[in-house]
Amino acid sequence: MNRKIAIAGYRMKAASDLVTTRERLTFELTRGLFDDLGIDRDHVGTTIFATNDFLDGRTISNVFLDPPAGVYMRDESKVEMDGLSALVYACMRILSGQYETALLVAFGLCGSQVSPYLHVEYTLNPTYDRQLGLLNELSAAGLQARSFLNKFGYSEDLLDEIAARNLRNAALNRDQARGIKDASAKDIKDSSYLYEPLRELHTYPATDGGCAVLLASETKAKELTDKPVWILGMGQSIESYYLGERNLYESRSTREASGRAYAMAGIDKPEAEVDFAEVSSLFAQQEPILTEALGLYGPGDAEKAYAGDNGIAGSLPVNPSGGPLGAHPICATGLFRLNEAIKQLRGEAGKNQVKKAEIGVVHGQDGVCAQQNTVVVLGI
Amino acid sequence: MEETRIVNATWDVSTFKYRIEGQGLTRMLSGMRDAKLIGIKCSKCGTVYLPGSFYCRKCHIEIDEAIEVGDHGEVMTYTVGYADVRGNPLEEPRVSPMVKFDGCDAWVMGALEGVKPEDVHVGMRVKVAWAEERTGSLQDMQYFIPE
Amino acid sequence: MRNVGIIGIGYTPVFVSKRKDVNIAEMISEAVEDCFANTGLGPDDIDAMVFGNMHTFEGVNMPHLWAADYIASLGKPVMRIATGGTTGMSAIHAAYYHIASGLHDVVMVVCFEKQSEGDSQVGLMGIVTPEIMAMLQAGIDISGSSGMGALAGGSAGAISFQASSYLARSGAGIEHIDGMAALERRNAAKNPYAHLKDANATAESVARTALISYPIRFGHICPTSDGATVAILASEEKAAELADGAAWIHGLANCASDASAGNILEGVITDPAEQMPCQLAAKQAFERAGIKDPKKEIDCVEIYNGFAHQTLMFLEKLGMCEVGEAHKLLDAGELEINGRCPVNASGGVVSTNAIGTSAMNRVTECALQILGQAGEHQVEKDVHKALSHGWGGLMQYVTITVLADKPRKG
Repeated sequence: MNRKIAIAGYRMKAASDLVTTRERLTFELTRGLFDDLGIDRDHVGTTIFATNDFLDGRTISNVFLDPPAGVYMRDESKVEMDGLSALVYACMRILSGQYETALLVAFGLCGSQVSPYLHVEYTLNPTYDRQLGLLNELSAAGLQARSFLNKFGYSEDLLDEIAARNLRNAALNRDQARGIKDASAKDIKDSSYLYEPLRELHTYPATDGGCAVLLASETKAKELTDKPVWILGMGQSIESYYLGERNLYESRSTREASGRAYAMAGIDKPEAEVDFAEVSSLFAQQEPILTEALGLYGPGDAEKAYAGDNGIAGSLPVNPSGGPLGAHPICATGLFRLNEAIKQLRGEAGKNQVKKAEIGVVHGQDGVCAQQNTVVVLGI
Repeated sequence: MEETRIVNATWDVSTFKYRIEGQGLTRMLSGMRDAKLIGIKCSKCGTVYLPGSFYCRKCHIEIDEAIEVGDHGEVMTYTVGYADVRGNPLEEPRVSPMVKFDGCDAWVMGALEGVKPEDVHVGMRVKVAWAEERTGSLQDMQYFIPE
Repeated sequence: MRNVGIIGIGYTPVFVSKRKDVNIAEMISEAVEDCFANTGLGPDDIDAMVFGNMHTFEGVNMPHLWAADYIASLGKPVMRIATGGTTGMSAIHAAYYHIASGLHDVVMVVCFEKQSEGDSQVGLMGIVTPEIMAMLQAGIDISGSSGMGALAGGSAGAISFQASSYLARSGAGIEHIDGMAALERRNAAKNPYAHLKDANATAESVARTALISYPIRFGHICPTSDGATVAILASEEKAAELADGAAWIHGLANCASDASAGNILEGVITDPAEQMPCQLAAKQAFERAGIKDPKKEIDCVEIYNGFAHQTLMFLEKLGMCEVGEAHKLLDAGELEINGRCPVNASGGVVSTNAIGTSAMNRVTECALQILGQAGEHQVEKDVHKALSHGWGGLMQYVTITVLADKPRKG
């Protein structure tokens, strides 16, 4: 990267029902962020939205969000994907030298206003998969979970362990919408099957949530905050739409994306150099699949990881925040991971704080079974 | 080559439970029974919104100062409708102006009665024709008539 | 700042009302293949992709996911951009920043719309569905002729307020809108990728079409089209290596205001014909491009005009002529393909509108003019600098791109 970019500040909010409108949420997040930083909308160079017309139930759904985000007679664009892709675009705009600051606004109101499953339903090939009715987000995740367990010889207990750890972590985190205090594997197993081997508590909850993030060039960032968090590397990739063309037990596009991000960040040995990860694992099995693709744990290392290495107090914590099993506001989830990583790197994560936090990796995804992935490496 | 099959499917908006801002509309409705138009004014720049907004677009701050707006105003632009959204012809042409009420910055759409389509013009003065019996609904403001 | 140029363009073989022979993914792949064939490049030359359309029009969410296998995107970074009518140019801008940032060197932009697979008027009304429902709750008779429910319907309804305001404030008459539409239909007849063509169109023939909503006639309105457009952008070094020529991006900008029609709940504060975002974005793009007097320095213009009055209106907002002067240029024949200020030599959006591509085609058409590859609709004068304009959102969002025949200096 030709110039350094930092995250100067963020605001985030999640609940099963935020009892709010898109406009008010956007206004509160951006106004709050500006107040935190002591700035006004005049200080924002460009704004990138990450929202989705299918979630908002509207065509060109960002039309009415411009003014509440402070974008009145101002510059904006919209990445209709997970918010981490919007972050990549915002960084590009700053790197070009055209802008010094960029605001990100992302949200999904899938707890109160629309079923989150509709989002994926409509990504399916409309003339075949959608009409056939066999494939949906949950059935695909069930196939993926079975494929992973089978490949590495794990029992379903592993999924329970993963979910329990995430929901325990989430219970400590006030920015999450769902958590279970002291959750045990048994608590998880008591939840009912959705698509075997996937149980209700292995899957993300329907959530309302949104966030606003301000990025800045090095000079600007130092004016705005004493605790800048730097973006060290970014990478993205996509793989086949067809599940049959992929090995569902691994994530090839995450591996490609992380390879690019690590190369940019100058990281050769992620398992040694990265201190923690925040990954968009929407279903329990995705966590080991993604952390393997991120080069943090070896294939089939899940047992070692779940002996404690990936806990908040472990040697390489994964989702110390509780991850998307605590909240999955579609479009904002990748940026929620980013914000959680910022908390860690600034030492502001409270009960979720990991021991060592100098380099963190965050991940966002789109599509069925993480067809498309974005990886960002952060540091202080 | 065989023609591609057509699959009929709908985007079912009833699956959405939309929430939208109600403050401005509620304020506006509250004045309707008394034949009054209530907007909200920005305390900083003075812009008056009708229906009111909870924030000011220009200043990006929260606003909540109710203010009565005149029910007379000026035609800022207008159209005469000859067909509906599907292109079906209307029985009678329909005159629809956007009116800027006195003491207000917003343009409000409505119907204009009592004037022939060819006599409407930008800059024309009009006023609200209120319903005799008002119920606190937007329909209390029946249409515009020339001043 | 790094220079970025457009080194290749591809279209679907036709832009028409209904492509029944292909599905969405297949149709997009035609344009991708056309672009590869035109440039002699292949998937391995592409570092990253930008993808755009208005996905509620076809009912497929994030269609780049489904189309991934069809457009040679596997293993690449792909960014989906969507800003409404401006989507195509917003996607070009995203590709520009991919390269200007130094992160990528060669980026492919893929935009499409297959409007025959959905209902575009309903799609557009979908912008304000919840507000309309709330207005109904609050007592409005939306289909009736009274009260505040006099929404004339869809984009054509909202747009008539703009056209009427423009006429009242510019001194132009409805006959000028007829004349502008006719000019563009004639230009379209020279463009193999245009949809509505009429080599013999005249102001009089357009004037004979039905009035939909004063002052908008049927003949002033864009069609709904099926089609896809692809472009390859490259850094200066890569362009030298991979292509014989390029159309260079000298300046770009965009701007949004508040949604200026259609939503009573928001309390509109803007004249729909003022188009301040267009004025602000043009000013910024010209500054970035080092252009001091667009009237003298710009050789041809492509304007996003879903409706024919917009060509005239935006010429003024873009600073290509004084306010109230555009219709005089039209009368003097200066907007013609062989005129002093040729505008929409391609036929414009009013002749071809596969929405996701519409704002992108403004850029690719300017690029073809600069490269001298526009064929029968190549403008007569030499083109050194060209201006492309995109318009969308809910009448409140504008994108601008200034192209030139040489890389930007310094």
